[in-house]
Amino acid sequence: MGFLAPWFLGGLAALGVPVFVHLLRKHVTVPRPVSSLMFFERGIQSSTRHRKLKYFVLFALRCALVLLVVLAFANPFVRRAAASQGRLLLIVLDNSFSMRAGTRFSEAKQEALARLAEKSRGEKAQVIALGSQVTLLTQQITDDAQLKAALTNIQPGDGRANFGELGRVVRAMTETMHGAIDLDLFSDMQRSAMPANFADMVLPGNVKLTLHSVAAGAPLPNWTVESVDAPAVLADPKDPRLSRVVAVIAGFNTPAAVKQVSLLINGKVVATNKVNIPANGRATVEFAPLNVGYGFNRCAVQIDGGDALPADDASVFSVRRSDPERVLFVHSTGDTRSPLYFAAAIEAAAPSSFVVQSVAAEQTTDFDPSKFAFVVLSDTPSLPSIFEHALVAYIGKGGGVLITLSTSSAYRERIPLWGASVSKPHDYARNGAATTIGQVDFTHPALAEEHPGRDNGGWDTVKVDYAAAVDPGRARVVARLMDGTPFLLDKQVGEGHLLLLTSGLDNLTNDLPLHPVFVAFVDRAARYLSGSELLSGSRLVDSYVQLRSAARPVGTQASVEVIDPDGKRPLSLSEGRTAQSLRLTRVGFYQIRFANGHDAVIGVNSDRRESDLTPMPDDLQQLWSGAGTATASQQRSAIAEEVKQPMSLWWYVMLLALVTTMAEAALAGRYMGTQREEA
Amino acid sequence: MLQRFLDPEVLAGISSLDLLAKTVVDGFVAGLHRSPDFGFSQEFAEYRAYTPGDDLRHVDWNLYARTERCYLKRYRGETNSQLTILLDASNSMQYTSGPPKKIDYARFIAASLFYLAIRNQRDAAGLIVFDDEVREYIRPSTRPGQLARLFTGLERAEPQARTDFCKPLRHFQNFLHRRGIAVVISDFYEDPETILHAIAPLHFHGNEVILFHILDPQEIRPTLKNSAVLIDLETESRMEVIPEYVKTTYRARVDAHIDALRTRSRAAGMDYQLLVTNQPLDAALREYLTLRQAEN
Repeated sequence: MGFLAPWFLGGLAALGVPVFVHLLRKHVTVPRPVSSLMFFERGIQSSTRHRKLKYFVLFALRCALVLLVVLAFANPFVRRAAASQGRLLLIVLDNSFSMRAGTRFSEAKQEALARLAEKSRGEKAQVIALGSQVTLLTQQITDDAQLKAALTNIQPGDGRANFGELGRVVRAMTETMHGAIDLDLFSDMQRSAMPANFADMVLPGNVKLTLHSVAAGAPLPNWTVESVDAPAVLADPKDPRLSRVVAVIAGFNTPAAVKQVSLLINGKVVATNKVNIPANGRATVEFAPLNVGYGFNRCAVQIDGGDALPADDASVFSVRRSDPERVLFVHSTGDTRSPLYFAAAIEAAAPSSFVVQSVAAEQTTDFDPSKFAFVVLSDTPSLPSIFEHALVAYIGKGGGVLITLSTSSAYRERIPLWGASVSKPHDYARNGAATTIGQVDFTHPALAEEHPGRDNGGWDTVKVDYAAAVDPGRARVVARLMDGTPFLLDKQVGEGHLLLLTSGLDNLTNDLPLHPVFVAFVDRAARYLSGSELLSGSRLVDSYVQLRSAARPVGTQASVEVIDPDGKRPLSLSEGRTAQSLRLTRVGFYQIRFANGHDAVIGVNSDRRESDLTPMPDDLQQLWSGAGTATASQQRSAIAEEVKQPMSLWWYVMLLALVTTMAEAALAGRYMGTQREEA
Repeated sequence: MLQRFLDPEVLAGISSLDLLAKTVVDGFVAGLHRSPDFGFSQEFAEYRAYTPGDDLRHVDWNLYARTERCYLKRYRGETNSQLTILLDASNSMQYTSGPPKKIDYARFIAASLFYLAIRNQRDAAGLIVFDDEVREYIRPSTRPGQLARLFTGLERAEPQARTDFCKPLRHFQNFLHRRGIAVVISDFYEDPETILHAIAPLHFHGNEVILFHILDPQEIRPTLKNSAVLIDLETESRMEVIPEYVKTTYRARVDAHIDALRTRSRAAGMDYQLLVTNQPLDAALREYLTLRQAEN
């Protein structure tokens, strides 16, 4: 207890005013004259005594008022520990996929509820769910019922927890809140939930972390279908290269075992293999051929036998069987090399998926692009206007077009469909030496490569003699030449995509068709432009599916329909008209109808890192929670010192002064009223 | 219209008693229906043989010239009684809860009665101002200037001292030579028995006695929100009283006092009239005229 402005206590001298008024100044009572007291009788009890009582109460109130006002100016304060006020309890419940193992989630929830019940009544708390994202389920409140309801409503999810994300959120929270925080984490402390860098999960100094692990004892053995390699689109079930499913079965903390692995198509077991899985090892199992019917087939690879986490014993994917799709290859009249190279590459990559139909540019008048998976415009500076208009509509509805520029279109100002012009072609051969590809964006679907080699994924060896200089504008430059000239550009038009290769496919302007990377490029570009990859296959939980392009204004777009694995529609009607993308949050099959009218069935699996139930080592947990280390205890004592801050009582004193003023006014009004009447 | 001049609050604004009395009486008379019972002309009554000591002004010199005998010509008015007002000017009469004071109200009544008696009725009028002594005595007379003398006497009658009925009334009996109307104006803060015991001799001498009991409205129905200290105007003694008493017992006691005064005075053959200072003056004038007519 102290005063922030003690010199104002000099104002206590003002107490002399009520003392003078009440005690020193002679109180004059004016009696009331009457003609005669003949008929009156004395009545003292209810007059003088009450008045004296009123008088002293009034005197006390006035003294208290002066005292309180002086105290308010002196600004009294008390030092209060933050333990009683300003301390925040964060209850973090892990609801990641691994918490589905055994009774871990229910145990964690019970422990969290028990911790919430221990909370003192005035203490603020916040409930957080740690899944694929850190979700703040409540505000920082004291309402136990609301906190309990939020905690009770948490359900196990399919996402992957990341302690690094939790650390980031808590650090952001402490930037705006300076009080002490008690963080109680209820989790299985999965080692795979740790970030790559331990520093990412370190919490600030004013956060006291208490770990409540529900994964006591030895780590549980768990087998899982780690990965499945299956075609998303299958045209010919008899194609030995494509019509097969290769699954990798992995065991975590498991002994060597023989497992029966089944392939299910549309809920029926169509094949079963036995596989020997070594201790803590992996084994591959293959199912071929893949006999699926036309349309979408919901497939799964499943392991029999129980383990700690049954939810990851199956991996789902969808396979769409269709007839080979046609590709329209438009070339200039004299160009016979380009269709040859392109068709050969398609044949090598996906022989049964696409059939190339080449046609000269002048003969395209009667062609309807919507009947083709995608269109290639190979060095065609001019197109029949009817066909060009049809192409524009085709792209707007989601079609894909690959444009290549060779010598024929070198000095033509306008590139069909692209909208820009060739400003200045680069003729590297004429200038002395051919150039090569300098920069490749391997994240683009047309060039996607998970682990590109040192030769830039094979693109380093490609020699480019000629490239048209195109202003990229809003297009995405996917590959550049050594001098920075864009080599491959991607531009979204409506719902469709345009790929622009600033060189040709004829082996004259570059030697790309002669390199192995050309086959891979044509294969991926074909899948990207046809969009067939997006309509089936499998994804991981928390990946995103693009529902529509943002190019078209809201309101002119068709609605999107999504049905999740539970058969519910996760998007409302308004969201279905406006949502750009969808986050896949549940394990199972998502059925989607895109804005361009295409249907898709996508299998969604959890991140297999969640299948490894090995908990964090104890020493690492202790290091994280800070228990047992000297620095942590020092930090904690420092926090305790820090949070013991003076709390000003100014507001309470002023409130009391206000109440006293009102009481004094009421009493004085009555008292003075009596005096006036007597006068 | 002139009735409004009888309102005490209006009269309190008039400083001259002469003007006040004229206003009151004219207003009062104008409000009366003319009646033959109340003739105000100098009506001839009789001739009476002159005896030594009679006022020579009343000798009918015309008749003496014809008959050489002295006869006094007597008028009807002169045959009526005289009016004597006994005005209580003790300190209690200066109490007021709003204009006018009780003493002022008493003055208004006295002035009006004098005016009515002298100017309109040709009665002789006199004044006795008393408290615990007789402070002023003006003999009843009809002589010119009598009204002015009476008004002067009234204006000099400032309240002081205490009330004592016995001593001044005993003294008053010494002045009483002739029957008439005696009007006692007081607030009568005394035991009714004592008052009537003091006043009764007046009635025994053949006087018609009227008691005008002057009270302030606050004395009859006082209001007191909180307990208060009261001071007696006459004795200056103090007393603390409570509102509950004033609301109940005091009112009952005042009412009992008034009833006792009224009952006992009428039983003793005297007239009693309670006059509250916020009421018009006509009640007092009407009472006087009624008595005067009965006397004739």
